[in-house]
Amino acid sequence: MTDATFPASAAAPQSKSSLLVVDERTRKRNAAEKRFRAYGLSAIAIALIALVVLMYSIFSDGIGAFRQTYLEIPVTLDAAQLDKNGNRNPEDIKKVLTTTYGKLLDQSLQAVMTQNGITIEGIAAKDVSDLISKEASAQLRNRVLANPDLVGQTIDARVLVNGRVDGYYKGRVSMESAARDSNTSPAQLQLADALKGKGMLSTEWNWSFLTNPDASDQRPEAAGVGVAILGSLYMMLVVLFLAVPIGVAASIYLEEFAPKNRLTDIIEVNISNLAAVPSIVFGILGLAAFINFAGLPQSAPIVGGLVLTLMTLPTIIIATRAALKAVPPSIRDAALGVGASKMQSVFHHVLPLAMPGILTGTIIGLAQALGETAPLLLIGMVAFVKNFPAAPMEGLFDPASALPVQVYNWTQRADPAFMERASGAIIVLLVFLLCMNLIAIFLRRKFERRW
Amino acid sequence: MNDMRILERAVEQTDIKISARKVQVHYGEKHALKDVDVDILDKTVTAFIGPSGCGKSTFLRCLNRMNDTIDSCRVDGRIALDGEDIYDKRVDPVQLRARVGMVFQKPNPFPKSIYDNVAYGPRIHGLARNRAELDEIVEKSLRGAALWNEVKDRLSEPGTGLSGGQQQRLCIARAVATQPEVLLMDEPCSALDPIATSQVEDLIDHLREQFSVVIVTHSMQQAARVSQKTAFFHLGNLVEYADTDDIFTRPRDPRTESYISGRIG
Repeated sequence: MTDATFPASAAAPQSKSSLLVVDERTRKRNAAEKRFRAYGLSAIAIALIALVVLMYSIFSDGIGAFRQTYLEIPVTLDAAQLDKNGNRNPEDIKKVLTTTYGKLLDQSLQAVMTQNGITIEGIAAKDVSDLISKEASAQLRNRVLANPDLVGQTIDARVLVNGRVDGYYKGRVSMESAARDSNTSPAQLQLADALKGKGMLSTEWNWSFLTNPDASDQRPEAAGVGVAILGSLYMMLVVLFLAVPIGVAASIYLEEFAPKNRLTDIIEVNISNLAAVPSIVFGILGLAAFINFAGLPQSAPIVGGLVLTLMTLPTIIIATRAALKAVPPSIRDAALGVGASKMQSVFHHVLPLAMPGILTGTIIGLAQALGETAPLLLIGMVAFVKNFPAAPMEGLFDPASALPVQVYNWTQRADPAFMERASGAIIVLLVFLLCMNLIAIFLRRKFERRW
Repeated sequence: MNDMRILERAVEQTDIKISARKVQVHYGEKHALKDVDVDILDKTVTAFIGPSGCGKSTFLRCLNRMNDTIDSCRVDGRIALDGEDIYDKRVDPVQLRARVGMVFQKPNPFPKSIYDNVAYGPRIHGLARNRAELDEIVEKSLRGAALWNEVKDRLSEPGTGLSGGQQQRLCIARAVATQPEVLLMDEPCSALDPIATSQVEDLIDHLREQFSVVIVTHSMQQAARVSQKTAFFHLGNLVEYADTDDIFTRPRDPRTESYISGRIG
């Protein structure tokens, strides 16, 4: 035995390699690690590139929605046409339709052209009158109805120009494309350039994109996300006030109080499954339960909010339960050990510790609900809504739109100007989501500081 | 009259605080404790020793019904605190735990300030009428746990920021603050270094003057150092329960002898 081991131990020092030389196995291991790091880095790089491309395309398309071209001209509100009886009776003025105002705008523009000596070769009368948006006459009429004293005066009007001319100044329309386009002509664009030269036409920051309601197919320049923002906001309020208390209460009960038996197992499995149910199914449920059965109005934020509540609940419950589970059991023991009741141990110790997790889960759920489109299509929120909903609570039952649905809606329209509006609405949606995430981060920080 | 009182106190001194009879514990199918009969005396330190999994912690947790939080756990038999069955249907475990405090194996201070840690028990049990009284209880408890001098200048700092030994003494202060009659300690020194351990042991000796202490420990030396009575558990059975001196010098059961001499465990 001694003989057998002796040569082996003698051989050992020879096989011992220098630490300064990296052996084959170590080299392979290091190479594998390097490869893995490279995979990780390339994955992150791909994700970043995709994000940059997405952001670039959205912003380059959508930033135009926040700028708008206006024409500023003096408009003579001819009393003979607007108030035929001459008694300034608001009822009579109301009978005058927008076509009359359109004619007034047309005449004013013609007058401006002659005054400034603008002549465009081969311009048709239609090109001149179409330069001004169809929405402008309606806006002018509203202004006069609000203040009938204006009749007979000459006012400085700031009116929308049509979508093509607006697009020309945002780089969407060119002289070449205008030549092929039946809705505009190079002559119209030349007229616009001439007016711009006189300082009457300008492209400015467009608040009305955020405050205007949707507009019809022919008037992309007037379309805004006002109703959609309000609708989304109302729905978020409904989700916040329903899903959060219900979800958090349900999770606390299931996690801390419920006995562990078959029934709670079944409930648990079903909650997990519900989280994976396609959102459009919740839309059908909402249509059947809230509209057809309960008789709530279509297109109303209350119904949208209820549907999104159902959809968000599983997410909130799962996140909240995970947050509660992550609280070390020693804290519960400690509380029970000094004679706290179950509820005191949960509300004094477990819940504050789980708060950051609960808030994050809740806000992720809300953000998911904010961006959800499919279920809203089924409950009629895709409708064309031009009237603003009233203030809550009645406003919850008024028809409204929602931001993601508005995006979907606009991408369906023929006029390319709506594509710009859709991208603009996406930017608004992203800003909302960003704000929610910032709130989540802020709240997390605030609660985490309490050790 | 005076003599009577002295006599009463004398009786109380050696009074049985907790009496357990034929205690059986099941975790689902597993029979964790079999027929345990123990009388725990007032103002005495009682140590439970035995190899891992012998049921000593289980029995300890029966004494303040901490086992209630485990769904599969079933306790049979009778455990009486001052003659009242603590497993009676009318007993609220919350009230029981206010009288039978507990200190756990791992220091588990609340993630709150040192002050709030100690004040929590008195607050929920309404032991202080105002802030001054609460301050007094907190100071008394921290002094009782030999921690006051170390933390008196930073009561508003988080309890989790203390060292391991300080945290454990904070947990003891927290348990003492509710003025319990019995203090259960589940291996209170297993996560502590020797110096912190000896501090806690000194503390246990002091606490004995106020109430009875039951301590589960893996260290036989510790049991010998701090306790007056020792119970040896093995495989769910209470093998031997006697004065500590007797257990370590004249064990009656061969299993006890093998354990304390290091042959089983």
